[in-house]
Amino acid sequence: MVNHGVVLDLIEQLGRTPAGSTITLDVASGASDADEIADNVDMIATWCRASGNELVESRSDAVVVRHGRSADVLAGLDPDQVPGTRLWMYTNFDCNLHCDYCCVSSSPQTDRRALGADRIARLAAEAEQAGVRELILTGGEPFLLPDIDELVATCTAHLPTTLLTNGMLFRGARLERLRRMDRERLTLQISLDSATSEQHDAHRGPHAWERAVAGIGLALDEGFDVKVAATLPAEQTHEVAPFKAFLGTLGIRPENQVIRAVAHQGAADDGIELTVESLIPEVTITAEGVWWHPVSATDESQFVRREIFPLADAIADVRQRFVRHRETADRAADWFPCS
Amino acid sequence: MIRTSTAPLLIGSVAYTPNVVTVWEGMRDYFAGTDTPIDFVLFSNYGRLVDELIAATVDLAWNTNLAYVRTVAQTEGACRALASRDTDVAFQSVFVSRAGAGFDGLEAVRGRRLALGSRDSAQAAILPVQYLHEAGIDDDDATFLRIDSDVGKHGDTGRSELDALRAVIDDRADAAAIGVNTWRSVTRGEIMAGAIESFWMSPEYSHCTFTALPALSSEWAEAWLANLYAMDWENPDHRAILELEGLRRWVPPNLDGYRSLFAAVADQGIHDRW
Repeated sequence: MVNHGVVLDLIEQLGRTPAGSTITLDVASGASDADEIADNVDMIATWCRASGNELVESRSDAVVVRHGRSADVLAGLDPDQVPGTRLWMYTNFDCNLHCDYCCVSSSPQTDRRALGADRIARLAAEAEQAGVRELILTGGEPFLLPDIDELVATCTAHLPTTLLTNGMLFRGARLERLRRMDRERLTLQISLDSATSEQHDAHRGPHAWERAVAGIGLALDEGFDVKVAATLPAEQTHEVAPFKAFLGTLGIRPENQVIRAVAHQGAADDGIELTVESLIPEVTITAEGVWWHPVSATDESQFVRREIFPLADAIADVRQRFVRHRETADRAADWFPCS
Repeated sequence: MIRTSTAPLLIGSVAYTPNVVTVWEGMRDYFAGTDTPIDFVLFSNYGRLVDELIAATVDLAWNTNLAYVRTVAQTEGACRALASRDTDVAFQSVFVSRAGAGFDGLEAVRGRRLALGSRDSAQAAILPVQYLHEAGIDDDDATFLRIDSDVGKHGDTGRSELDALRAVIDDRADAAAIGVNTWRSVTRGEIMAGAIESFWMSPEYSHCTFTALPALSSEWAEAWLANLYAMDWENPDHRAILELEGLRRWVPPNLDGYRSLFAAVADQGIHDRW
């Protein structure tokens, strides 16, 4: 038989609890069996729905209830950070370089694992419908793909698109593919780590810096909007004035200069630690499925789901997981005692 | 002494829940953007709040109905009720019993056990006893189970009313008298259907009100009231405060709504400083 007293206990405890905070309520005390406990939980759920309080969690013997509703986690984000605002797609994982900090361990020996034209076309179309505002294609090195120009065209037909590249392959047929891309809808993001060759080449291989700088110049000359992204050890990310000055001399606008820290992912032996708890997700699609973030697209702990389609469901899944993580963290912060 | 300072109006209130701090900090922030800024002081009980209003420690007191009635008594009527919540001008007491227990009106309380809230709660003790007296049921005609869980706070915490309901559920009482706000709270989602039911609702009466002494000039009071009434449920910033304080809009007090409590206080010899 349901115990109405637990609701009285709940109301009393909530009355002593600041709005937004949670309480844990024993729903098993005095109950004779599991069915009675379940009835108590059902009653509390009904009361919470009707009273504007939030049943956060149901356990076998207790419930966690928030006084009022939790703050809207997604509303608290910068609009550009809301998961699903941007969609990352790994076109392939093979690469002409073997960078020692590559977050997905790409190299010439890495299997291609191409996402493929059909899936990219469907993703681009569904992304537009799902409210995505920007598509981002990355690899591996996307210019290794013989149909990269067609993949990009599929994307730019729907949404503004950014294509990440090391900028080293703009020759022959690949240069012709670049020239066929939509300059109005495409931004090229080229990797360059330093103002001189030593640091860049130490991680990426001999002559990589020289060819990347040449690629930046070529892309600009071809009339593309070019971003330059540097990947640096975390301790160096605040010492970038000379590098930024150098990028200025190349013609890269300040807003197109991206500095990011090496993450402890993929081939990197060290770097900043990123987990689903500490990382705002950016929905990322690979041939294997949906991932939390492009920086962790080979980290099984950040694999979200195998089903890519419908894309809206995948985005919703990532958002829901993010909200749950944030709420769990908030509850832990509520509970964490001073001593 | 008539207030002439341009310092913020100091409002006294009683800390009956942690959320009172949130409410008054919100009010202080709101009034900081007006020509009548405020600050606030929280007291542990209404007796002390009324004392400090009379001592001019605070300019305004956010009083319960009993605190207002006691302020009137102690100032020989010199104080003034300024504004109430919309929910304060139509407050009620509710008599409840186990479903099917055969209660069909106040007369059914005769010879039964009635759980009452804290003795300084107008809604869950003082007025229910008065309604029974008016119905011809004296103190000896029923067994009163007085649950003084939150004395000093005039029943604001709701705890004594919840305890009174527990007494009914646990069969330590046949019926209970509680405030309509508590009744509405516990019946959300109709979860009490078939378990507890109301069998008598009192006439409407008035509950909380801002109370001032003559030291607060009419000019100040009117300017402050204009800003208070300007709080808007449709404004999300205002709404967060109003929701937590349990109202949709501030309204002028209904002084007629205090008559029943004045009579009850006189008839029952309620202590001056409650």
